[in-house]
Amino acid sequence: MSNLNKYVDAFAAALEVAPDQVPSLVYGESPSWDSVGHMTLVARLEDAFDIMMEMDDIIDLSSFEKGKEILRKYDVDI
Amino acid sequence: MLLEGKNALITGCARGIGHALMTAFAREGANVWAFARKESASFMEDCQALSQRHGVWVRPVYTELTNEAARKAAFAQVLADKQPLDILVNNAGIMGEDRLFQMTSEAEMRSIFDVNFFALLEVTRFATRLMARRSRGAVVNIASVAGLDGDSRIDYSASKAAVIAATQKLAREYAGQGIRVNALAPGYTDTDLVSGLSQKVRQETLARILLGRPADPMEIAQVAAFLASDRASYVTGQTWRVDGGIL
Repeated sequence: MSNLNKYVDAFAAALEVAPDQVPSLVYGESPSWDSVGHMTLVARLEDAFDIMMEMDDIIDLSSFEKGKEILRKYDVDI
Repeated sequence: MLLEGKNALITGCARGIGHALMTAFAREGANVWAFARKESASFMEDCQALSQRHGVWVRPVYTELTNEAARKAAFAQVLADKQPLDILVNNAGIMGEDRLFQMTSEAEMRSIFDVNFFALLEVTRFATRLMARRSRGAVVNIASVAGLDGDSRIDYSASKAAVIAATQKLAREYAGQGIRVNALAPGYTDTDLVSGLSQKVRQETLARILLGRPADPMEIAQVAAFLASDRASYVTGQTWRVDGGIL
Protein backbone atom coordinates (compact mmCIF):
# COMPACT_ATOMS: atom_id res chain seq x y z
CA MET A 1 0.00 0.00 0.00
CA SER A 2 1.34 3.45 -0.91
CA ASN A 3 1.95 6.11 1.73
CA LEU A 4 -0.88 8.17 0.24
CA ASN A 5 -3.32 5.28 0.60
CA LYS A 6 -2.21 4.66 4.17
CA TYR A 7 -2.58 8.38 4.90
CA VAL A 8 -6.09 8.58 3.44
CA ASP A 9 -7.14 5.36 5.20
CA ALA A 10 -5.96 6.74 8.54
CA PHE A 11 -8.08 9.87 8.10
CA ALA A 12 -11.10 7.94 6.84
CA ALA A 13 -10.99 5.41 9.68
CA ALA A 14 -10.23 7.89 12.46
CA LEU A 15 -12.79 10.49 11.41
CA GLU A 16 -15.37 8.07 10.01
CA VAL A 17 -15.70 9.70 6.60
CA ALA A 18 -15.55 8.32 3.06
CA PRO A 19 -12.06 8.33 1.49
CA ASP A 20 -13.15 10.77 -1.25
CA GLN A 21 -14.11 13.33 1.43
CA VAL A 22 -10.75 13.18 3.19
CA PRO A 23 -8.77 15.75 1.12
CA SER A 24 -11.10 18.60 2.07
CA LEU A 25 -11.04 17.92 5.81
CA VAL A 26 -10.13 20.76 8.17
CA TYR A 27 -9.92 20.50 11.97
CA GLY A 28 -13.04 21.83 13.67
CA GLU A 29 -15.02 22.11 10.44
CA SER A 30 -15.89 18.44 10.11
CA PRO A 31 -18.30 17.16 12.78
CA SER A 32 -16.13 14.13 13.52
CA TRP A 33 -12.83 16.05 13.60
CA ASP A 34 -13.24 17.33 17.14
CA SER A 35 -10.67 16.97 19.92
CA VAL A 36 -11.45 13.28 20.46
CA GLY A 37 -11.33 12.59 16.72
CA HIS A 38 -8.06 14.48 16.56
CA MET A 39 -6.33 12.20 19.04
CA THR A 40 -7.78 9.15 17.31
CA LEU A 41 -6.34 10.47 14.05
CA VAL A 42 -2.92 10.99 15.66
CA ALA A 43 -3.02 7.40 16.96
CA ARG A 44 -3.91 6.07 13.51
CA LEU A 45 -1.18 8.07 11.77
CA GLU A 46 1.45 7.05 14.34
CA ASP A 47 0.48 3.43 13.97
CA ALA A 48 0.35 3.54 10.16
CA PHE A 49 3.80 5.13 9.81
CA ASP A 50 5.44 3.84 13.02
CA ILE A 51 6.27 7.30 14.33
CA MET A 52 5.76 9.32 17.53
CA MET A 53 4.73 12.89 16.78
CA GLU A 54 5.94 15.83 18.86
CA MET A 55 3.32 17.78 20.77
CA ASP A 56 3.75 20.89 18.57
CA ASP A 57 3.06 18.78 15.49
CA ILE A 58 -0.06 17.31 17.05
CA ILE A 59 -1.32 20.84 17.67
CA ASP A 60 -0.38 21.96 14.14
CA LEU A 61 -2.14 19.05 12.46
CA SER A 62 -5.08 21.12 11.27
CA SER A 63 -5.89 19.82 7.80
CA PHE A 64 -5.28 16.99 5.37
CA GLU A 65 -2.68 19.09 3.52
CA LYS A 66 -0.95 20.31 6.68
CA GLY A 67 -0.62 16.71 7.82
CA LYS A 68 1.41 15.84 4.73
CA GLU A 69 3.81 18.66 5.52
CA ILE A 70 4.16 17.53 9.14
CA LEU A 71 4.79 13.90 8.22
CA ARG A 72 7.72 14.95 6.02
CA LYS A 73 9.52 15.87 9.27
CA TYR A 74 9.31 12.19 10.18
CA ASP A 75 10.70 11.09 6.79
CA VAL A 76 7.27 10.12 5.52
CA ASP A 77 6.62 11.39 2.00
CA ILE A 78 3.01 11.33 0.94
CA MET B 1 -3.20 -15.54 36.09
CA LEU B 2 -4.59 -12.03 36.31
CA LEU B 3 -2.29 -10.36 33.78
CA GLU B 4 -1.19 -13.18 31.50
CA GLY B 5 0.17 -11.93 28.19
CA LYS B 6 -0.09 -8.24 29.14
CA ASN B 7 2.80 -5.82 28.77
CA ALA B 8 3.22 -3.29 31.57
CA LEU B 9 5.39 -0.23 32.06
CA ILE B 10 6.03 0.43 35.76
CA THR B 11 8.01 3.40 37.05
CA GLY B 12 10.02 3.56 40.26
CA CYS B 13 10.75 -0.17 40.41
CA ALA B 14 14.03 -0.12 42.31
CA ARG B 15 12.50 -0.46 45.76
CA GLY B 16 9.44 -0.21 47.95
CA ILE B 17 6.02 -0.35 46.32
CA GLY B 18 7.57 -0.23 42.83
CA HIS B 19 9.64 -3.33 43.48
CA ALA B 20 6.55 -5.08 44.80
CA LEU B 21 4.57 -3.97 41.74
CA MET B 22 7.18 -5.40 39.39
CA THR B 23 7.19 -8.66 41.37
CA ALA B 24 3.40 -8.95 41.59
CA PHE B 25 2.86 -8.15 37.92
CA ALA B 26 5.46 -10.71 36.78
CA ARG B 27 3.91 -13.29 39.10
CA GLU B 28 0.53 -12.60 37.50
CA GLY B 29 1.99 -13.25 34.04
CA ALA B 30 2.76 -9.73 32.80
CA ASN B 31 5.88 -8.72 30.92
CA VAL B 32 7.36 -5.59 32.48
CA TRP B 33 9.43 -2.62 31.42
CA ALA B 34 10.83 -1.88 34.85
CA PHE B 35 11.82 1.78 35.02
CA ALA B 36 14.37 2.71 37.66
CA ARG B 37 16.52 5.76 38.24
CA LYS B 38 19.90 4.21 38.90
CA GLU B 39 21.54 1.21 37.30
CA SER B 40 22.49 -1.50 39.77
CA ALA B 41 23.63 -5.10 39.61
CA SER B 42 21.14 -6.19 42.25
CA PHE B 43 18.21 -4.68 40.35
CA MET B 44 19.37 -6.36 37.16
CA GLU B 45 19.54 -9.68 39.04
CA ASP B 46 16.04 -9.14 40.43
CA CYS B 47 14.68 -8.56 36.93
CA GLN B 48 16.42 -11.67 35.58
CA ALA B 49 15.21 -13.80 38.48
CA LEU B 50 11.61 -12.69 37.98
CA SER B 51 11.84 -13.40 34.25
CA GLN B 52 13.12 -16.92 34.83
CA ARG B 53 10.79 -17.74 37.70
CA HIS B 54 7.58 -16.63 35.98
CA GLY B 55 8.33 -17.19 32.28
CA VAL B 56 7.93 -13.54 31.37
CA TRP B 57 10.37 -10.79 30.43
CA VAL B 58 11.21 -8.06 32.92
CA ARG B 59 13.45 -5.48 31.28
CA PRO B 60 15.19 -2.83 33.33
CA VAL B 61 15.04 0.65 31.81
CA TYR B 62 17.19 3.23 33.56
CA THR B 63 16.14 6.85 33.34
CA GLU B 64 15.75 10.11 35.19
CA LEU B 65 12.08 10.87 34.60
CA THR B 66 12.41 14.58 35.29
CA ASN B 67 14.96 14.97 32.50
CA GLU B 68 13.28 15.28 29.10
CA ALA B 69 16.16 13.85 27.08
CA ALA B 70 16.63 10.90 29.42
CA ARG B 71 12.90 10.26 29.46
CA LYS B 72 12.73 10.23 25.67
CA ALA B 73 15.68 7.84 25.50
CA ALA B 74 13.81 5.48 27.84
CA PHE B 75 10.66 5.71 25.72
CA ALA B 76 12.77 4.91 22.65
CA GLN B 77 13.89 1.70 24.36
CA VAL B 78 10.26 0.71 24.90
CA LEU B 79 9.37 1.51 21.29
CA ALA B 80 12.38 -0.45 20.00
CA ASP B 81 10.92 -3.61 21.53
CA LYS B 82 7.96 -3.35 19.10
CA GLN B 83 5.57 -4.72 21.69
CA PRO B 84 2.12 -3.33 22.47
CA LEU B 85 1.69 -1.55 25.77
CA ASP B 86 -1.34 -2.67 27.81
CA ILE B 87 -0.69 -1.22 31.26
CA LEU B 88 1.04 1.78 32.79
CA VAL B 89 1.64 2.03 36.51
CA ASN B 90 2.89 5.46 37.53
CA ASN B 91 4.62 4.74 40.79
CA ALA B 92 7.81 6.82 40.89
CA GLY B 93 7.60 9.41 43.63
CA ILE B 94 9.48 11.23 46.35
CA MET B 95 8.39 12.53 49.73
CA GLY B 96 11.15 14.07 51.82
CA GLU B 97 11.20 14.62 55.54
CA ASP B 98 8.01 15.63 57.27
CA ARG B 99 8.12 19.36 57.98
CA LEU B 100 5.92 22.40 58.45
CA PHE B 101 4.79 24.58 55.55
CA GLN B 102 6.78 27.57 56.80
CA MET B 103 9.92 25.43 56.72
CA THR B 104 9.38 24.12 53.20
CA SER B 105 11.12 26.03 50.43
CA GLU B 106 9.68 26.73 47.00
CA ALA B 107 12.56 24.79 45.45
CA GLU B 108 11.67 21.70 47.50
CA MET B 109 8.02 22.00 46.55
CA ARG B 110 8.87 22.30 42.87
CA SER B 111 11.18 19.30 42.94
CA ILE B 112 8.47 17.15 44.54
CA PHE B 113 5.93 18.26 41.93
CA ASP B 114 8.48 17.62 39.15
CA VAL B 115 8.71 13.94 40.10
CA ASN B 116 5.29 13.18 41.58
CA PHE B 117 3.17 15.10 39.09
CA PHE B 118 4.84 16.48 35.96
CA ALA B 119 6.96 13.41 35.20
CA LEU B 120 3.88 11.25 35.77
CA LEU B 121 1.97 13.26 33.19
CA GLU B 122 4.75 12.96 30.62
CA VAL B 123 4.98 9.18 31.04
CA THR B 124 1.20 9.04 30.76
CA ARG B 125 1.29 11.14 27.59
CA PHE B 126 3.67 8.63 26.02
CA ALA B 127 1.84 5.52 27.20
CA THR B 128 -1.68 6.60 26.31
CA ARG B 129 -0.55 7.46 22.78
CA LEU B 130 0.56 3.83 22.37
CA MET B 131 -2.60 2.49 24.01
CA ALA B 132 -4.82 4.67 21.83
CA ARG B 133 -3.47 2.95 18.71
CA ARG B 134 -5.15 -0.27 19.88
CA SER B 135 -8.09 1.43 21.61
CA ARG B 136 -7.40 -0.27 24.91
CA GLY B 137 -5.26 0.03 27.99
CA ALA B 138 -5.19 0.65 31.72
CA VAL B 139 -3.36 3.27 33.75
CA VAL B 140 -2.91 3.02 37.50
CA ASN B 141 -1.53 6.07 39.27
CA ILE B 142 -0.04 5.49 42.69
CA ALA B 143 -1.30 8.46 44.69
CA SER B 144 -1.53 8.50 48.48
CA VAL B 145 -4.06 8.96 51.26
CA ALA B 146 -2.14 12.19 51.85
CA GLY B 147 -3.67 13.45 48.61
CA LEU B 148 -7.13 12.88 50.09
CA ASP B 149 -6.54 13.71 53.74
CA GLY B 150 -3.76 16.32 53.51
CA ASP B 151 -1.93 14.72 56.40
CA SER B 152 1.65 14.76 55.10
CA ARG B 153 4.01 17.59 54.17
CA ILE B 154 2.25 20.19 52.07
CA ASP B 155 4.04 19.64 48.77
CA TYR B 156 3.74 15.85 48.92
CA SER B 157 0.04 16.00 49.86
CA ALA B 158 -0.71 18.59 47.18
CA SER B 159 1.21 16.67 44.50
CA LYS B 160 -0.79 13.52 45.27
CA ALA B 161 -4.06 15.50 45.26
CA ALA B 162 -3.01 16.74 41.82
CA VAL B 163 -2.47 13.13 40.72
CA ILE B 164 -5.99 12.23 41.89
CA ALA B 165 -7.53 15.17 40.01
CA ALA B 166 -5.50 14.31 36.91
CA THR B 167 -6.70 10.71 37.18
CA GLN B 168 -10.31 11.88 36.96
CA LYS B 169 -9.60 14.19 34.02
CA LEU B 170 -7.61 11.53 32.15
CA ALA B 171 -10.36 8.95 32.76
CA ARG B 172 -12.89 11.29 31.17
CA GLU B 173 -10.63 12.07 28.24
CA TYR B 174 -9.59 8.50 27.44
CA ALA B 175 -12.76 6.51 28.16
CA GLY B 176 -13.81 6.90 24.53
CA GLN B 177 -10.53 5.36 23.44
CA GLY B 178 -10.93 2.27 25.61
CA ILE B 179 -8.36 3.35 28.20
CA ARG B 180 -9.22 3.13 31.91
CA VAL B 181 -7.43 5.41 34.35
CA ASN B 182 -7.55 4.86 38.10
CA ALA B 183 -5.58 5.89 41.14
CA LEU B 184 -4.63 3.93 44.18
CA ALA B 185 -4.10 5.71 47.48
CA PRO B 186 -1.85 3.73 49.81
CA GLY B 187 -1.77 4.59 53.47
CA TYR B 188 1.20 4.02 55.74
CA THR B 189 3.30 1.45 53.88
CA ASP B 190 6.49 -0.15 55.08
CA THR B 191 8.97 1.41 52.60
CA ASP B 192 12.04 3.63 52.55
CA LEU B 193 9.77 6.52 51.61
CA VAL B 194 8.43 6.78 55.15
CA SER B 195 11.77 6.19 56.85
CA GLY B 196 12.11 9.97 57.36
CA LEU B 197 9.05 10.06 59.61
CA SER B 198 9.69 10.63 63.29
CA GLN B 199 8.85 7.92 65.83
CA LYS B 200 6.08 10.14 67.19
CA VAL B 201 4.45 10.52 63.75
CA ARG B 202 4.76 6.78 63.14
CA GLN B 203 3.00 5.97 66.40
CA GLU B 204 0.26 8.53 65.78
CA THR B 205 -0.27 7.16 62.28
CA LEU B 206 -0.48 3.55 63.42
CA ALA B 207 -2.99 4.52 66.11
CA ARG B 208 -5.37 5.72 63.37
CA ILE B 209 -5.21 2.47 61.34
CA LEU B 210 -7.91 -0.08 62.16
CA LEU B 211 -5.66 -2.99 61.23
CA GLY B 212 -3.00 -1.54 63.53
CA ARG B 213 0.00 -2.05 61.25
CA PRO B 214 1.60 -0.60 58.15
CA ALA B 215 0.91 -2.19 54.76
CA ASP B 216 3.37 -4.58 53.24
CA PRO B 217 4.22 -3.18 49.76
CA MET B 218 2.89 -6.38 48.20
CA GLU B 219 -0.56 -5.62 49.66
CA ILE B 220 -0.56 -2.41 47.62
CA ALA B 221 0.78 -4.11 44.51
CA GLN B 222 -1.94 -6.76 44.54
CA VAL B 223 -4.67 -4.14 44.40
CA ALA B 224 -2.84 -2.34 41.59
CA ALA B 225 -2.67 -5.62 39.65
CA PHE B 226 -6.42 -6.03 40.00
CA LEU B 227 -7.11 -2.45 38.87
CA ALA B 228 -4.84 -2.96 35.87
CA SER B 229 -6.48 -6.25 34.92
CA ASP B 230 -9.52 -6.95 32.77
CA ARG B 231 -11.37 -8.01 35.92
CA ALA B 232 -11.64 -4.30 36.72
CA SER B 233 -13.03 -3.57 33.25
CA TYR B 234 -15.87 -1.39 34.63
CA VAL B 235 -13.70 0.68 36.95
CA THR B 236 -12.36 4.03 35.78
CA GLY B 237 -11.79 7.50 37.20
CA GLN B 238 -11.67 6.14 40.75
CA THR B 239 -9.26 6.48 43.64
CA TRP B 240 -9.07 3.39 45.79
CA ARG B 241 -7.81 3.73 49.34
CA VAL B 242 -5.61 0.85 50.47
CA ASP B 243 -4.91 2.06 53.97
CA GLY B 244 -5.76 -0.67 56.48
CA GLY B 245 -8.84 1.25 57.51
CA ILE B 246 -8.26 4.91 58.32
CA LEU B 247 -11.72 6.19 59.26
